[in-house]
Amino acid sequence: MNTAERRVSRKSAFGIAVLCVALAVIPFLTSTTSLRQATQIIVSVLAVLGVNVATGYGGMISLGHGVFVGVGAFATGYYVDDLSMPWLLAIVLGAATAGVSGALVGLPALRIKGIHLALVTLGLAIVFRPLSKRFPSITGGVSGRSIDARFDAPGWWPGDTRMASSVYRYLFCVLVVLLALWATWNVVNSRFGRSMRALRDNDTAAAVYGIDLVSARVTTFAISAGLAGLCGALQVVLVPFVSQDKFPAQESLVIYASAVVGGLGTIWGSVLGVIARTVVGKAGAVVAGFDGLGPIGEFFDLLDESAFVFGLGLIVLTFLFPHGLAGIRQKDRVRG
Amino acid sequence: MVKATPETRLQSEVLATVTLSFVMDYVLLLQRIFDALFNSAIYSSLALALVIIFRSTGLLNFAQGEMATFTAYIAFVLLSGPQPRLTGGGLAGIIPGVPFTIPLAIIGAVICGMVAGAATERALIRPLGGASDLALVNITIGLLLAVNSLMAQWWGTGPRFFPAVFPSGAGQHFLIFGARLRYSTVGVWAILLSVLVLLVLLLRHTRAGLAFRAVSISPSNAELVGIRVGQTLMYGWALASGFGALAACLSANSVLLEPSMMLRVLVYAFAAATLGGLDSPKGALVGGLIIGLSQTLIPAYVPFIGFELSVLPALLSMVVILLIRPAGLYGTRRIERV
Repeated sequence: MNTAERRVSRKSAFGIAVLCVALAVIPFLTSTTSLRQATQIIVSVLAVLGVNVATGYGGMISLGHGVFVGVGAFATGYYVDDLSMPWLLAIVLGAATAGVSGALVGLPALRIKGIHLALVTLGLAIVFRPLSKRFPSITGGVSGRSIDARFDAPGWWPGDTRMASSVYRYLFCVLVVLLALWATWNVVNSRFGRSMRALRDNDTAAAVYGIDLVSARVTTFAISAGLAGLCGALQVVLVPFVSQDKFPAQESLVIYASAVVGGLGTIWGSVLGVIARTVVGKAGAVVAGFDGLGPIGEFFDLLDESAFVFGLGLIVLTFLFPHGLAGIRQKDRVRG
Repeated sequence: MVKATPETRLQSEVLATVTLSFVMDYVLLLQRIFDALFNSAIYSSLALALVIIFRSTGLLNFAQGEMATFTAYIAFVLLSGPQPRLTGGGLAGIIPGVPFTIPLAIIGAVICGMVAGAATERALIRPLGGASDLALVNITIGLLLAVNSLMAQWWGTGPRFFPAVFPSGAGQHFLIFGARLRYSTVGVWAILLSVLVLLVLLLRHTRAGLAFRAVSISPSNAELVGIRVGQTLMYGWALASGFGALAACLSANSVLLEPSMMLRVLVYAFAAATLGGLDSPKGALVGGLIIGLSQTLIPAYVPFIGFELSVLPALLSMVVILLIRPAGLYGTRRIERV
């Protein structure tokens, strides 16, 4: 029954093709530093995708996904350094640790719904930094910790320059992100994905149809936190340093805003959200770079702060395009 | 007459130390309670702001803290006058050259906050017309992000010194049973309680107050009897933002004025509001008191928590309350269709 649902539309196929070409071209155009930055941007798709799974598909508003990114990063650093695990295992376990912590958060979400869940997850996002400072042996406390192990290219990789190593990390991360996107697309279009959406739209009806509310909600939250944790683990791959000050509450909120701006409930939305965040940030930096605009220039300086534009974007899109950038052609408004 | 043998002397010494330590602890406990009362007042007033809006509009205003911080910056700008060097860019150009005293600056900030609150309701909340939870969360989170980075852009992220509202120097306190009750704590509570009395009078004895109570109970019925629901809600938002502004201005001295200063306070205020019941003003007051006390007392007596983690008990209590008694202490219970 779901063959039509699972078929990739022509538009999506075109989008995927454009994306693949862009991803293949990027490493030839840049230096090591900007290649690393590009990789970090690509990796951040995972965190946004995590919010999308919980909020867009599962209907559980999460304002605290930065926490799971943090858990994934800290856990991966701990596994690879203190327990001297191989990188691949550490990354998988790091994401799994974030997934387990997500399941723990998902447990109260069984009873705490809607706006109250948003409140609890926002609280979690705010508490995360002091909490992680409290465990300095794992997190490095206030100043953070650098990871001694390096994610280097293996012997068979052609070239041993720093650029070759960066390209290796880039390709690894891109591969993981694409795999995660593909896997998520499969999950949300599976039987389980349909029960997720049924829960989102009407949990009473879903329960009547025999969907186990407890396991579905907890699993959804675990998957979504696991994706965010994978993002954290890949951040450690790229920069072998983790610190609590990378995970302020605002970061969680910007991740949430990216998911909403891009469009909830479609995989494309998460990709678009991250692209929008990047474009806004870059455009803002360019505009703010012009001098001699006078008082208008001071206003444009604000564009440099992508959080400002994203805050406004969130408000404007809620009015004009409630389905986000991915659903810009859907005109109906969400009114309850 | 008993001769003081070494043993009895030892006993009496032990007794003395035990008594002394008990008395010391008692004084220390009282001191901690006094210290906590200041924060309690702040949490209560911010919780009150959240409750007023939740009660009437049914939404949690996540941007309440940032809106309040913005008004504290307005008070800061009013106090420092037209000195761009001090205030950063932004509003510096439009400040009149009149030196504001602290009370005047705070009143100015509260008025600005009320206007901003009313404008938010009119421009962002009313046009949505009772949209889904998700849309309302998006609006308030968008506001939070935008206002936060606006403040960071205009005034920088570094903490700024905000003058104390009440004398809070070294010797300025009452001494009660050996514990120090600071003038600022008494002053903050005096302001909070007098504003509360005004609020109660407003709600009980004016037409606008009656309309507000009617809208809180049932907007659709209020509309049927001819109350202008939108306008009434706008007043509610103005009132709430006024409370928020007051909370921010009164606490800006102790927590240092910076763009994110109210984020943590917001967790405490939300915990207080949840504990008391999200739709109960009385609950906000009691909840603020309890959360403020627990914030100081729990880290003091539970070494694991420590002062770094003092925000954790607040979050946990919020989760537990939402799980076992979502209506809180004084809130109205909701009946859910299952």
